[in-house]
Amino acid sequence: MAAPMTEGPDPAALEAWAGDEEQATKPEEPSLSAGEWLSRNLFSSAVNSLLTVVFSLLLVLVLRGLLNFMFSEERTWRAVKTNMRFLFTHAYPQSQYARIWVCIGVIAVLSGLSVGLLARTGGGISMKKLSMNLMAAGALIALGILLREPSAAVGADGRAIHRSGAEARGDSFVDWLDANALTVLGLLVLANVLLAAWFHHRGTYLQVATEPRVAHGVLVLASLGVLIGQQYATGEVVRESFAEAMADRAWWWLAAVVLVGAGAALWAGLGDARRRNTFVPAMYVFFAGAGLMVLSAWVYPWGHYAFLEGEFIAEPGSTVAMTTKLPWTVIWILLVATFELGRAIKGTRVGPRLRVPLNLLWVMTPFVLYWAVLRDPDLDWAHVMSTDIPMAVFFAVFGGLVVWYLAHPRIGETGRVVAVGLLLVAVLNWVAAFFGWYPMLQKARISFLLLAVVAMLAHNFAGDRSQRMKLVAAWVAAMAVFHWLVTLVNSPSTVDTPTDALIGGFGITLIVAVFTLLLSFPLGVLLALARTSKLPIFRVLSTAYIEVFRGVPLITLLFFFTLIFNLFLPQNMTLVDIAGATIGFSLFSAAYLAENVRGGLQAVRRGQYEASDAVGFTTVQRTLFIVLPQALRVSIPPLVGQVIATFKETSLLAVVGIFDFLRIADKVISAQSEFLGVKREGLLFVSFVYWIFAYNMSKYSQRLEKRLGVGER
Amino acid sequence: MRRALLAVVAVAALFASACGDPDPQPVAPGSAGGSAPEAAEPATTAPEVVTDGEDGDLLQRVQQRGRLVCGVSGTRVIFSETLPDGTVVGVDADYCRVVAAVVFGDSDAVEFVSLTAAERFAALQAGHIDVLFRSTTWTQSRDTEVGLDFGPVIYYDGQQLMARAADGFSASSQVADIAGAEVCALAGTTTEQNVSDAADAAGTEISLSTFEDFDQIVENFIGGGCDVITADGSSLAGRKAKQQPDDQEWVIFPAIPISKEPLAPVYPQNQSRFADAVNWAVYATIIADEKGITSGNVVEMAASPPDAEARRLLGGEDELQTAMGLAPDAFYRAISQVGNYGEILARHLEPAGLTRGSLNASWRDGGLIYAPPAR
Repeated sequence: MAAPMTEGPDPAALEAWAGDEEQATKPEEPSLSAGEWLSRNLFSSAVNSLLTVVFSLLLVLVLRGLLNFMFSEERTWRAVKTNMRFLFTHAYPQSQYARIWVCIGVIAVLSGLSVGLLARTGGGISMKKLSMNLMAAGALIALGILLREPSAAVGADGRAIHRSGAEARGDSFVDWLDANALTVLGLLVLANVLLAAWFHHRGTYLQVATEPRVAHGVLVLASLGVLIGQQYATGEVVRESFAEAMADRAWWWLAAVVLVGAGAALWAGLGDARRRNTFVPAMYVFFAGAGLMVLSAWVYPWGHYAFLEGEFIAEPGSTVAMTTKLPWTVIWILLVATFELGRAIKGTRVGPRLRVPLNLLWVMTPFVLYWAVLRDPDLDWAHVMSTDIPMAVFFAVFGGLVVWYLAHPRIGETGRVVAVGLLLVAVLNWVAAFFGWYPMLQKARISFLLLAVVAMLAHNFAGDRSQRMKLVAAWVAAMAVFHWLVTLVNSPSTVDTPTDALIGGFGITLIVAVFTLLLSFPLGVLLALARTSKLPIFRVLSTAYIEVFRGVPLITLLFFFTLIFNLFLPQNMTLVDIAGATIGFSLFSAAYLAENVRGGLQAVRRGQYEASDAVGFTTVQRTLFIVLPQALRVSIPPLVGQVIATFKETSLLAVVGIFDFLRIADKVISAQSEFLGVKREGLLFVSFVYWIFAYNMSKYSQRLEKRLGVGER
Repeated sequence: MRRALLAVVAVAALFASACGDPDPQPVAPGSAGGSAPEAAEPATTAPEVVTDGEDGDLLQRVQQRGRLVCGVSGTRVIFSETLPDGTVVGVDADYCRVVAAVVFGDSDAVEFVSLTAAERFAALQAGHIDVLFRSTTWTQSRDTEVGLDFGPVIYYDGQQLMARAADGFSASSQVADIAGAEVCALAGTTTEQNVSDAADAAGTEISLSTFEDFDQIVENFIGGGCDVITADGSSLAGRKAKQQPDDQEWVIFPAIPISKEPLAPVYPQNQSRFADAVNWAVYATIIADEKGITSGNVVEMAASPPDAEARRLLGGEDELQTAMGLAPDAFYRAISQVGNYGEILARHLEPAGLTRGSLNASWRDGGLIYAPPAR
């Protein structure tokens, strides 16, 4: 079924970066000097330059506020640093932490391989853009160093020294500036307005090239000077002098100088247009950034803060703990190594064949990592040998035979009778379970249902011997994985935590988001297909479902599935909060996904349906091989939007009492007697982490769109 | 050929559906959580002992499970705060450990479930937790309407006010002194109602602002946005100990609180065997406090008890724990592993700058802490 891989005619072309080829076809942008660029884009007219000046000042004010907040001596960032593990994994025991690292390592290996192998390493960043970004980052850091107010001088008791009333206000110029900063700033902006109006009136803004721009530049610099100078004014608190403040920020200066220097060096090396448009793979830039972070963990004194065996540890001058920096270093090496491995394999014959197994591994990863690695299940070997393995073997063999028989090309009506028979038995099983007529392992019931579904679908995949062998192998593999996972799920965890949840914090945020995605995606696609189906019963049911679940607020669903749903379950069954919440999220998200996919389905043209009918495809074949691939490609942007929304909506877990990322930062840390009332730091940190993830998801979807050519075809 | 295959399929189908493990071992539906072990537990064996309540005997269920599921706040200093490694400490948390030590002989056999104020009773009714130690005030409506039972009071709290000494307040100030002040309280709680009632009774006019979050209230109080803030005395004292800036002095008044907040454990209604175990676990720590039996000297005390009551309590001759369905040394273990009432209180009150005070002193010292005799 797999499409043959198109081999490039020239091995050299295979080596070339995909982005390079893409870029080569575009006309080269005219090269502008910095001054020309500024005058064309930011200062093209008197009004535009006024807008530029006012909004840059606003940006600078916001940046200053943020920096002053983050670096103020009143902030207790120690609360976040000490609670770092707590924020990410809640009460997951320290002694079992290797499991967390294994999980991250597995994800790193899979990511490295996938990116190296599957993605065309396309896009990339042009050298020109890279050097400009480096310089801009350096300049931003330098601006930040200047804008941030100087730290307060700290007394022997570790608290900021306050000025006594007499010396609170001197009469120096800076003190006057401090008191009148807003007035001065307002006057400067007013001067700007007048200047702009005057030049506009004379209509010589662009003709007289230098004068107006120099005048605006002077005003902008004066405004910045006011803002920076005001920082060093004497206030209530005794603060460092300018020289001391700059000396304290030596590390930041170093970072700024290195960034600007690296950018400038790159720029200087970009003699001609060809080199300027050379593309660096985006992954290498990412690796370099991540590598710098990892390196800084070994070199820079981030401080070591922890809570170990009942003691708070705070060592501000040291580097982070070995138990943090060593695993991250290993993970970084794994990531780079597997990326290179993937690239090396890509050109060989094995490469294309690895695509499908790799995708299957990705789908299995969440289940295996959660139930096999994180939970460390305690398998009851007697039960495994006596029940689990025989049952798995039975279903593999029996189902394999059924699949082999039903996938015969000339099976015809008989196959349908057999399949319906199996379905009846499966349904009967569930009815029996509902009334409790005779006991049976749920696993057998589910396996039977799976078999019935596969039997119903088998004739769509009928083919020759090798095709039938493939189907049987897929069934056997699916049964092996399914029974293994169910056995793991049914085994108690040996990881002992003091609370009811195995893991919390960002861990649970990720787990709930990933499982929601895995559950809601197939459900959403099925609902969309049902809503566009010709069978009225499917249409009505699906429409009713979608309208009900879109009409009910998510928080209501969460309360229902965590608090009320248990009352409907049989006595010996309970749904833990996290499972209930995941179900609630999935049902809700599926309704939205279904509508997104339906939009895609409507974009598939009639001719596609008619053509597939003409070649004699069955409905299932047409849906799987013709309609869905096109529909899903079209609906990528809304689908990714839904994924990001789901990821962020997991913060509602806090409301139903699950210790997710947000709740720990919001409620728990601020209630620790060590950090009583410290809340804003945690919230800022949490929003930053959420942003990092959501931003990267959105970036990835943009790349996906580009690769699949959405909007171009 | 086809018929033969059909027959094989049918027979195999019947075989597969008829045979199976007699134990129902349900897969937790869509379980992304670690529910499976609980869900997989067979709950079919009918309890032999006298059962009370519709769902069977709770004490027996807890004993079978092997650990106590205890509902706490997890976000309240002194009573139950969650440390960065996930452990829960505080008076409430220690009483969960006392009950676990009484039931299982192991104070670590507790699973803490952190609950918000809104969901605590629902969690207890739904059977998510066995017992609730969440600084819950014992009131008539909760005891009767909500369908729960309360155990003995473990801490007598009461709502008080806190103001700055610089504004002319002192520990001897009265509610009448806050006339015209900006008073801040938590929105939608009884504290809000209590303070306006108290001001009405004292005949003073106050301006009341409410907030959703106590951290916000304290921040406003430090910044000067609030003149007087109000909450339970224990909470105010904790804040004063940790958050009072160097250049301010905060005072807590009036000496006699404006409300009664008896904090007590809560358990499901009509579970008398479990209720007895919880009640007597609390009483045992109080009796031990009266008799000076501490975690430090309990070994000697058990070897040579000071009186007959102490002997019975610590599992000696004529002990009554066996009759309750507990181990004879249940209380001995609780006291040796966790401590007596005074020890537990001191452990968590002192870091917050609090003492037992007059209400939570032993009845011998004029307080309200009193336990029925163990005989």
